[in-house]
Amino acid sequence: MTKQRLLLIVFFIFYLLIIIKLFYLQVLNPSSSDTAYLKTNRIYPERGKIFDRNGEPLAVNSPTFLLYIEPKKIGDTFEFVKKIDSILQVGEASLASKIDKTKSWVAIKDGLDTDQQQKLLDLGLKGLGFEDRFKRYYPESSLAAHLLGFVGKNSQGEDLGYFGIEGFYNKDLVGLPGIIKSDRDILGRPILIGTQQKLDPENGRDLYLTIDKSAQEIVKRKLQTGLERYRAKEGCVLLVVPQTMEILALTCLPDFDVDLYHLFSEEFFKNPAISNLYEPGSTFKPFIMAAALEEKSIQPDDFYNEKGQIEIGGYTIKTWNNKYEGKISLTRIIEKSSNVGMVYVGQRLGRQKMYSYLKKYGFGEISGIDLQGEGSGRLKEEFLWYPIDFATVSFGQGIAITPIQMIRAFASLINGGKLLKPFVVKKIISQGREKYIDPKIQRQTISPRSSEIIKKMLLSAVENGEVRWTKPKGYQIAGKTGTAQIPIEGHYDPTKTVASFIGFAPVSQPKFLALVILREPQTSPWGSETAAPLFFEMAKELLVYYNIAPE
Amino acid sequence: MISKGKYLIWLIFSILLVSNVFVFLHSMKLSDKINHFEKEIKNLHQENLTLENKIYAVDSLQYAASIAAQFDFNQKAQPMYLENLKYARGQ
Repeated sequence: MTKQRLLLIVFFIFYLLIIIKLFYLQVLNPSSSDTAYLKTNRIYPERGKIFDRNGEPLAVNSPTFLLYIEPKKIGDTFEFVKKIDSILQVGEASLASKIDKTKSWVAIKDGLDTDQQQKLLDLGLKGLGFEDRFKRYYPESSLAAHLLGFVGKNSQGEDLGYFGIEGFYNKDLVGLPGIIKSDRDILGRPILIGTQQKLDPENGRDLYLTIDKSAQEIVKRKLQTGLERYRAKEGCVLLVVPQTMEILALTCLPDFDVDLYHLFSEEFFKNPAISNLYEPGSTFKPFIMAAALEEKSIQPDDFYNEKGQIEIGGYTIKTWNNKYEGKISLTRIIEKSSNVGMVYVGQRLGRQKMYSYLKKYGFGEISGIDLQGEGSGRLKEEFLWYPIDFATVSFGQGIAITPIQMIRAFASLINGGKLLKPFVVKKIISQGREKYIDPKIQRQTISPRSSEIIKKMLLSAVENGEVRWTKPKGYQIAGKTGTAQIPIEGHYDPTKTVASFIGFAPVSQPKFLALVILREPQTSPWGSETAAPLFFEMAKELLVYYNIAPE
Repeated sequence: MISKGKYLIWLIFSILLVSNVFVFLHSMKLSDKINHFEKEIKNLHQENLTLENKIYAVDSLQYAASIAAQFDFNQKAQPMYLENLKYARGQ
């Protein structure tokens, strides 16, 4: 055998070995070669930020890390667990239980900050890795907890918005993840001649709200003071621009801590302003009065003879103080909040028209506000109404509505009759493109003329009502108090009430409309002695904040 | 003639070999740079977010309230002039 032939055989054997190895890697066990070099990673998008109407941040993102381990690479498990636990403080036993040597990847803890990550890196342990993540950061803490909602996890462990804006706009906020496919060498450096593919993530859309952070702070602080002062069980304040139905502030107490939401039960997450039903009481009277004026069932200069209690369907209806003034004007009915006077107005309007106006005002349907968890309220079918139902509804008892329905309908009374869809998000920014959300008129409830008459009546209710409040001087403020007993097991409990006040300022060109609701105040059951003073305290600060000059 | 052709082939092979080694080493260097800048970009982005959040925290009403409490500057700014319009009118 010549030297050349020997060399040929050696080369032949060498090539044969290479072919066998390639066959093994590419045909028999392809996964072993792919995982060694081709790294496929998911790039998490940044969740959209939430700002108030002035661009002040309400919910932004903070970088965090997910700690994972590769159990197969871990040497001494005992030592490994001990060192990690000295930083994480989660318990050695629970850490050890997660180390399953049959698995190649196990998540250990999410939400680590940069300091914790650095400390773990300093340990220099093998089989330890980090994935970049984001968590929500709220610069204003729980200033608008019910409005914002919170970001939790779904069954796959991915971020998911719950309640409020986070829930309603989750699809906009979440963004689209990107993917990176890259051939990497053993040191993690990209191999330029190999596969290098990158699909950039699309970050979530940023939302600009109609909420004014400062107004939100004012109403929340005042509501907190009010709840303590009047020892009420719960409370809500809604503040809107009546001409557009932009929500300027919305707060209900008690609420929850957005950072520690997992420590609260589900009942705290529900936003009572959009999901809880309540009987509005006398704040409902202007609706019936406006409907009767619109239908010309009554004239603004009509009079009613308030003689005493009245009987309807076996039930007795009386005024709140059981005092009767004889011949009184329609404005006086509103001023003194006369139940019997309102029954008269309701009777003049007629049952069918009253029912149709309740529908027109949007009671019994959702308002369409862009917050998750809105309730629709109940408005039973007309044929199920007894005569007493029509009588009690005229002064706001026997009908259950949500606070957002109340303020939406009331805004239509003072803005010339336009029923608008309330909204919280006014601008959405997606990759530099801005999309504005405009106010949406749903229908006309009453004419501008009736609206002006009602505004005057409501101004008179504040100026000449039964109670004199400390009002900001020089301003015309209008509104109506309400006190409704709470129905419990088929009857009304006189000791438990929902006290409320709905008012606006300035009367000529309202800048804001506010609804204050206090549930079961202990110091006084009346809206005039609890919710109304609270409203005027808020109005005082809001007039200054919005720089509204005295009239 | 044959020997000249032989040398030319050797020369071409040598140039190819050297350039191959150069390209390989250069790609390694580039990979290192890409890796470095990838990490830098990521770190800068995280640092940026952290600093941004610190600014937001300092700019927040919560922080203002805590600082006010810390310095015992908790006299609420009551809009007194609404009740005493003479001050406003006197200006």
